[in-house]
Amino acid sequence: MHNNIKPFIACLLGLLLVSLSFGALAHGVDDNTRVFLEQNSGMQFIPFIYIGAKHMFTGYDHILFLVGVIFFLYRSRDVLLYVSMFTVGHSITLLWGVLGDIQVNPYLIDAIIGFSVVYKGFDNLGGFKRVFGRQPNTKLAVLIFGLFHGFGLATKLQEFELAPDGLVANMIAFNIGVELGQFMALVFIVIVINFWRKLPSFERFSTMTNTMLMSAGFMLIGLQLTGYYLY
Amino acid sequence: MTQDVVSTKTLIKSTIAATIIAAMVFVCFILPAEYNIDPTHIGHKLGLTALAHHDDEPTLVAQGSAVSEQGQQVIEVTVPAGKGIEYKFQMNQHNKMTYEWLTDGEPLYFDLHGEPEGDTTGYFESYAIATLSEMKGSFTAPFTGSHGWYWKNTSEQPVAIQLIVKGQYTVIGLK
Repeated sequence: MHNNIKPFIACLLGLLLVSLSFGALAHGVDDNTRVFLEQNSGMQFIPFIYIGAKHMFTGYDHILFLVGVIFFLYRSRDVLLYVSMFTVGHSITLLWGVLGDIQVNPYLIDAIIGFSVVYKGFDNLGGFKRVFGRQPNTKLAVLIFGLFHGFGLATKLQEFELAPDGLVANMIAFNIGVELGQFMALVFIVIVINFWRKLPSFERFSTMTNTMLMSAGFMLIGLQLTGYYLY
Repeated sequence: MTQDVVSTKTLIKSTIAATIIAAMVFVCFILPAEYNIDPTHIGHKLGLTALAHHDDEPTLVAQGSAVSEQGQQVIEVTVPAGKGIEYKFQMNQHNKMTYEWLTDGEPLYFDLHGEPEGDTTGYFESYAIATLSEMKGSFTAPFTGSHGWYWKNTSEQPVAIQLIVKGQYTVIGLK
């Protein structure tokens, strides 16, 4: 079993590195993509799937939140359930935001996404139970933060003046791509976390990991709020 | 099996540690590298501010020579995200210039204008103001002085402009 898994992980990590070096931009969309998006008109199904997948796969804010969400999910059923809640949430606001032409400040929405990471890290530490005596419904929290992540995705596409021609199909393609990218990212996260859970270090470092998650969330908030005040 | 609830002491320690680490990384590394804000000067020492500098300073690749009354000259300028730049030419009164410029697709606010030589009042005359991604035209300088474009990029990505000029002028360049 181990012998089979090791080369698999090595391959996946290699792929990860390659894809990161091609698209080192986690947030915006890189220049080539931008040129493509602005020049395109009409339905471009596969390219939009690719753009969506790439954005999700290289978007560290979404990934950090997902790590937090599935950190203590031991059963595949739960992983599937929570990820589905997240997917429903961000799909609603992605489609609604772009099709309804809803203007949200990208810096503020990204700051809220940073906050979702802080929230999840704090939640994983049992912070809400400790401070308020009870934990807010975790499924509902994932759904609600999913809605904010979806607005974040929408702002990334709204930066371009997309041709109305084929907009709906392109949006759906982008959304499908987002789910594919999320799935690919989840494969890595689940493999690594499941492997790690078997080691004694998981329990020893789980507090530290969630502390770091909170810290990373605070950094994202700072980064985005500074951008908001400067631009 | 579900998650543990950590002790109050651990929770407070974790929260404070998360905040302090985030604040330190933010002030020492993220602010200098992303926004060229460097209160600790650590970013400068580590060369991180260069990352932000790269965006701040317009890059310029000029082809051809800056001789007046020459044929067509192609100039490329980049307007950094959220910034405005000015590109000017020295022209005498009644000198002519024909021009054409286009961005990589992003529309930019611009002001094509001239400032009289030796003027200290800040006076300038605008020949065209609009928000466009490309424009073609010509003008005759109404007075001796510097003439050219102000472009403002309100987007979050740098915008490259290709400017093609022909006429009687000397390049001053970025101002």
